[in-house]
Amino acid sequence: MEPMADGDKNYFDPKVLAGIANLYLRARWVVEGMLSGIHRSRAKGFSVEFEEHREYSPGDEIRRIDWKALGKFDRYFIKEYEDETNLRAYLLLDASASMNYASDGITKFDYACTLTASLAYLILRQQDAAGVVTFSNRIENFIPPRAKRDYLTQILHALENRGPGGETDVGRILDDIAGQIKRRGLIVLVSDLLDEPAAILKGLRQFRFKGNDVIVFHLLDPAELNLPFDGNILFEDLEAASLQVITDPRAIRATYQQVVQEFINDMRKQCHDNAIDYQLISTATPLDQALASYLSWRG
Amino acid sequence: MSVFFLYPAFLIGLAAASLPILIHLLNRRRLQRIQFPAVRFILLSQKRISRSYRLRHWLLLALRTLAVVLLVLLLANPIFQTGAGLFAGGGPVAAVVILDNSLSMRWSGDGNGFKQAKEAARLLISALNDGDRAALLPTNISGKETFRLKGQRDVLLRDLDAIEIADGTANLAAALDKAYELLSEPAGQKEIRLITDMGLTGWDQFSIAALKRVDPSVPVKLIHVGRKEQPLNAGIKEIRLAGPGVGVNLPLNIEATLSNFSDREVKDVLVQLSIGGQSKEQKLVSVPPKGEASVNFQARVGQSGAQAGQVSLKKEGLAGNAVANFTIDAQDKLRVLVVDGDPQTALVQSESFFLSRALNPGGERDSSLFLPTVIVPDGLNAAALDSYQLVILCNVATLPEAFVANLQNFVRQGGGLLIFAGDKFQPASYNQKLSQSVPAEVREKKIGPEASGEKIAKLDLTHPALQGFTDPILLESLKSTRVWGYLRASPRGKSALISLANGDPLVLEQRVGAGKVILITTTADRDWSDLPLKTAFLPLLQTLAQHLAGGKRGHFDAGIDVGAAKEISLPPALVGKSLRVTKPNKQATEVPIAGEKTRAVATIADNELAGVYRLSLSAGAEKESGAPQLYAVNPPFLESRLEEISAAELQAKLAPVRAEVIPIDALKEGGKRTDLALPLLALLILTLFLESWLGQRF
Repeated sequence: MEPMADGDKNYFDPKVLAGIANLYLRARWVVEGMLSGIHRSRAKGFSVEFEEHREYSPGDEIRRIDWKALGKFDRYFIKEYEDETNLRAYLLLDASASMNYASDGITKFDYACTLTASLAYLILRQQDAAGVVTFSNRIENFIPPRAKRDYLTQILHALENRGPGGETDVGRILDDIAGQIKRRGLIVLVSDLLDEPAAILKGLRQFRFKGNDVIVFHLLDPAELNLPFDGNILFEDLEAASLQVITDPRAIRATYQQVVQEFINDMRKQCHDNAIDYQLISTATPLDQALASYLSWRG
Repeated sequence: MSVFFLYPAFLIGLAAASLPILIHLLNRRRLQRIQFPAVRFILLSQKRISRSYRLRHWLLLALRTLAVVLLVLLLANPIFQTGAGLFAGGGPVAAVVILDNSLSMRWSGDGNGFKQAKEAARLLISALNDGDRAALLPTNISGKETFRLKGQRDVLLRDLDAIEIADGTANLAAALDKAYELLSEPAGQKEIRLITDMGLTGWDQFSIAALKRVDPSVPVKLIHVGRKEQPLNAGIKEIRLAGPGVGVNLPLNIEATLSNFSDREVKDVLVQLSIGGQSKEQKLVSVPPKGEASVNFQARVGQSGAQAGQVSLKKEGLAGNAVANFTIDAQDKLRVLVVDGDPQTALVQSESFFLSRALNPGGERDSSLFLPTVIVPDGLNAAALDSYQLVILCNVATLPEAFVANLQNFVRQGGGLLIFAGDKFQPASYNQKLSQSVPAEVREKKIGPEASGEKIAKLDLTHPALQGFTDPILLESLKSTRVWGYLRASPRGKSALISLANGDPLVLEQRVGAGKVILITTTADRDWSDLPLKTAFLPLLQTLAQHLAGGKRGHFDAGIDVGAAKEISLPPALVGKSLRVTKPNKQATEVPIAGEKTRAVATIADNELAGVYRLSLSAGAEKESGAPQLYAVNPPFLESRLEEISAAELQAKLAPVRAEVIPIDALKEGGKRTDLALPLLALLILTLFLESWLGQRF
């Protein structure tokens, strides 16, 4: 299926997406585009009701025994209903000031919103429950997960009404959110992680400790990765204006890239050690790759 | 050992060395502000690389500055030189070699100074490379000569061979001026070498301000011809005439003053007087250290006319000018025409008796300076006045008209006229005919008794003719004179030379053209006074006669210094003609005679050779013209002084031109020049490569 008339465009190109003002359209464009393309066969499974059998164990309700299965296999199986097996996904979106950065085209925040919206669209389309939490150094918005299709409107509304601002305090916020989530599910963190790595990991481990699955989308602008500037530059921090430095990027570029890479590697390793899915995403990366990483988990 | 630049003008580009620093500072001021999320990573990176980054940064800045400096130096083309600097290598050279050929060079370098200087010049010329150009200048130039830079070494060496030692002082200003004029043409490398004994006299006369052009970027390298030990050093300071005049067979008194410049006594130096090539007298003299001594000679000149003479010193090892030339014009006799207005058969009663004997006391031809010829007034018209220097009228009543014109012309052209009064003297006739010549308007005769005669009361002893009367005996004799008869006269100009006690003038003088007229208001014999009987009569008459004869007397001339101009006065009739000057080396030149007010003048400027110069007019007219036939030119006395200027004083005199003094021996050791352009180019390429490599690492 071609989601839009303009077939030559790369529908996952962040620059193209930046031209679409409506977040719903963006999310739909991305998801439909992707599902109609590479992952079309996998999307089939989501359109039918899903159910699961497990062997009967003492204490299970007798009425939930699947008798047909007994006839076939001569064993007792319990039929599990959809409601119980549905995914509860919490999409945590970093809305701190540092996300409001774009070296070329789309800001990290816009990218993150699109990604979040796309994930919510995808999740709701699968009739799973999706909720969104936006935060900076405090929780800005908390939309608890629901599995209703029209719930997407509410989620998008929360995303669209919130611009980036304030300082990041990812570690503490994750602690807060972990405290508010009673039922385990999927935690998707979309953030540039420009905070203390130890605090971030501590928060993430909280989720894991409670049995949640965790996916981290580490979002960085290409300029943050490469520092492609020339000349003498006064760098002002987006979150703390008092944090300034004058330097010639050419002189420190290699070291900078090394420092950033070390940070990423550290994050990746720590996540791996804690069974957390970690995905580094440059805002220059087409969105389908980010979604594909979700799907690979979901798959 | 020194470094100099072929194109120093490019060094101004060194200011560009500040460009990288300025650009650096400007860049620092032109900051770009960027809001960035990952500042903490930048800080972390900066902290990590801080030290090496700064080091590289400053290294890069230093390399860029160095590159600019190297480029500028490369354009200026530096040359590294060791030794005293022959013109070897280091690009095309335009050089001027100045060779001091002043007289003092004869005694410098222990007697070989000039030879050493020429050898040094030869060494410099031989060291010229193809493409180099040089000029060779002696220091005895007037500034008018033509010199040019030449590229042929053999021509320059021939020029060098032709330079001889001169008799004068070094004209350093003219030589340096010419050198800078020659080097004003565009040239790669410009050099001036001055090979000199650094004689104080030449440098005393030098002033950098006298140079028309100076280029401080072209330094002067002085190659010093020194000496190992201080020689005995003396010279003839002055020669002068000690006696009254120069007459044939009369005693000629000449005094020479010797000056000793050394710290040691000059003992027993032989001083010789020669006239006309003949030795007249020799004396041994000692001169105290740093002192002077006078030597008096007395000689006789056997013939009249112009003659050359010299005083010379003879002593082994004596440095300094040993010969001083002079000229004399020996006066044969002063020919005096005496007109006796009252001749008598008995000579003693004649008006001119006492007078003619006072002029020629011995009555012999050679005993006196004067040769009087006595005539009577009737012979006046036939008298050839041109052959006399003085006419004396004694009691002549009146003068024939035709003679008056001759007489006035004679006086105007320099002849002398002495008029005595007397009973026949007609004042009205003189007042009318010679009103312009007679020094007073003559009035009546005043004759009283002999016993009541007036005495002489007042003399003008400052007058040249009366200076001899400072002698008290002569003065007393003159003042004892009694005058009882005289003409009363009203002076036309100055007061009388001699006056009587009553104030009436006795002797009056007036100049007429080039000649002089003296009126004596009394008689030449004993008719009106007893003056002829007085001791003072003879000297008075002789000094008056000599005074009236004026320029026609015998003459002594100690000459002029080498290089000075000689001015010869001639009769106005010669204006437009030329005077032939024969130099001591027998070369002759014609000098034009120019008019100047009432006289004619020939100015002889070219007196570069010491010796005797001969003058002549066409067809031997010089004898009639009264012009000198010879004049002497001597080396400047101070050129004999071998004192040297110190290097510091010399450098101060040459400022703002940089001067360097190099001993002549250092020049002989030679030197080597290395063009630093190639090493600099290599260094520049290396610097640029390093800069590029380091720049890429940022």
